[in-house]
Amino acid sequence: MHHNKAVEIKNLHYKYPDGTMALDDINITIEHGESVALLGPNGAGKSTLILHLNGILRGNGEIKVFGLPVNKHTLKEIRRRVGLVFQDPDDQLFCPTVFEDVAFGPINMGLTKEEISTRVNKALASVELEGFGKRSAYHLSFGQKKRVAIATVLSMEPDMLVLDEPTSNLDPRGRGKIIKILNSLPVTKVVVTHNLNEAAKLCKKAIIMDKGRIVADEDIEKVLSNRPMLEAHGLISS
Amino acid sequence: MKHFFIDKYSEIKSPINDLNARAKVIIFFALILLCATTPPNAFLAFGGYYLILSGILLVSKVPLGFVLKRTVVAAPFVLMVTLFIPFMEGGGGSYNLWGLTLHRSGLIVLFNVSVKAFFGVAALTLLTSATPFNELMDGLKQMGVPKIFITTASFMYRYIFVVVNEAMRMKRARDSRNFEGKWIWQTRTIGHMIATLFLRSYERGERIYSAMLSRGYDGEVKSLGKHPIVFKDVVFITLIISLAALLRFSHALTKLISGS
Repeated sequence: MHHNKAVEIKNLHYKYPDGTMALDDINITIEHGESVALLGPNGAGKSTLILHLNGILRGNGEIKVFGLPVNKHTLKEIRRRVGLVFQDPDDQLFCPTVFEDVAFGPINMGLTKEEISTRVNKALASVELEGFGKRSAYHLSFGQKKRVAIATVLSMEPDMLVLDEPTSNLDPRGRGKIIKILNSLPVTKVVVTHNLNEAAKLCKKAIIMDKGRIVADEDIEKVLSNRPMLEAHGLISS
Repeated sequence: MKHFFIDKYSEIKSPINDLNARAKVIIFFALILLCATTPPNAFLAFGGYYLILSGILLVSKVPLGFVLKRTVVAAPFVLMVTLFIPFMEGGGGSYNLWGLTLHRSGLIVLFNVSVKAFFGVAALTLLTSATPFNELMDGLKQMGVPKIFITTASFMYRYIFVVVNEAMRMKRARDSRNFEGKWIWQTRTIGHMIATLFLRSYERGERIYSAMLSRGYDGEVKSLGKHPIVFKDVVFITLIISLAALLRFSHALTKLISGS
């Protein structure tokens, strides 16, 4: 069964428990292999939207991920195929050692011990952190933590990576490294960011959100050349 | 801000670190049990236990100062309970010390409680120092300790300093805004800080849980740890425990032999 669409979202609405409308009629399609920047000011609903991509949050509307409707029967498969990387690596890395963190997903997938070790080493190698397995995440630098956080989902060999501000709070060298690593990964990518330069380096397409709505969804060059629109949604300041 | 983890010496290569975590748990708990049940006046046996512990410490290459520093933490608790016992009326004669009367039976209680308490704390300190934390948790899990305790301890190990750092950053931000005066006038501020810290930790807990769910968590933290007990573990267990048991029961043994 082959589907061209990595993500199909139709008429998605989501309200916070306090009644605030966080997502208001979201309709998007992401093709297989596409890399998409999800842009928007603080509080636009970007993080809320990506939490729907692997069923952590469940709003009203229709969401299909790799052709699978998100429901309790497909959750396991969807979470294997969608690797979600949280913004704060201290939330993503909760085990006593880096190895255990990177192995957490594969262990839950029920793989064999050898397969798990192979995947952990491969994932750490692809974020340029070979041999860091025995360390405690607490003792890593912030940039290293961010990269381990990426490795924790790479070890599940996902078909889509969803990253919430993968370069925030990093120094320029750290940013460059993350961008290089992400560009070397041949999977579908959704990248939440405020940084337009980085969005252009990582993605072909851009979706702009503001106040829980989609306000633009097209080629990134077109989006970036529309300065009045960028300014109206707080992505550049005059 | 850098903090030292309780198992910061567990990376040292030594025969003790190489032992199976379960073997170490068995050895140290057996030592503590034997020591705790030893009659209070078996001074030689206590000396022997401390010698065994020192031997393990020496082989493990964990610095003595580190273990001592962590052991004296227990001192106030032990001394608070026991320090006054010698002054109470008891049997077995008494001594005069600068006009104070010390009773022999009370002194023995003081000695007995302190020597056992410090042995217990020192043994546990050494156990946790010489064992990587994750292996210790795997070992305890294999020995049947309920998973909820293991999970709680693992999260505490991982996040205690994250929370400590958060508190320190808050304190700095507070002090930068001229927080001074007697603490009693600032209880309101301190209360707010504690509440904020609690809320932040709670929210972090929710985010961590989402991150766990995202990677297929289904209510059980599984681990790869299948460390089998090997020959050298058995040798170590037998050696140390029989040595300690000999000390513990030497009195009864000599009686038995001379009596028969």
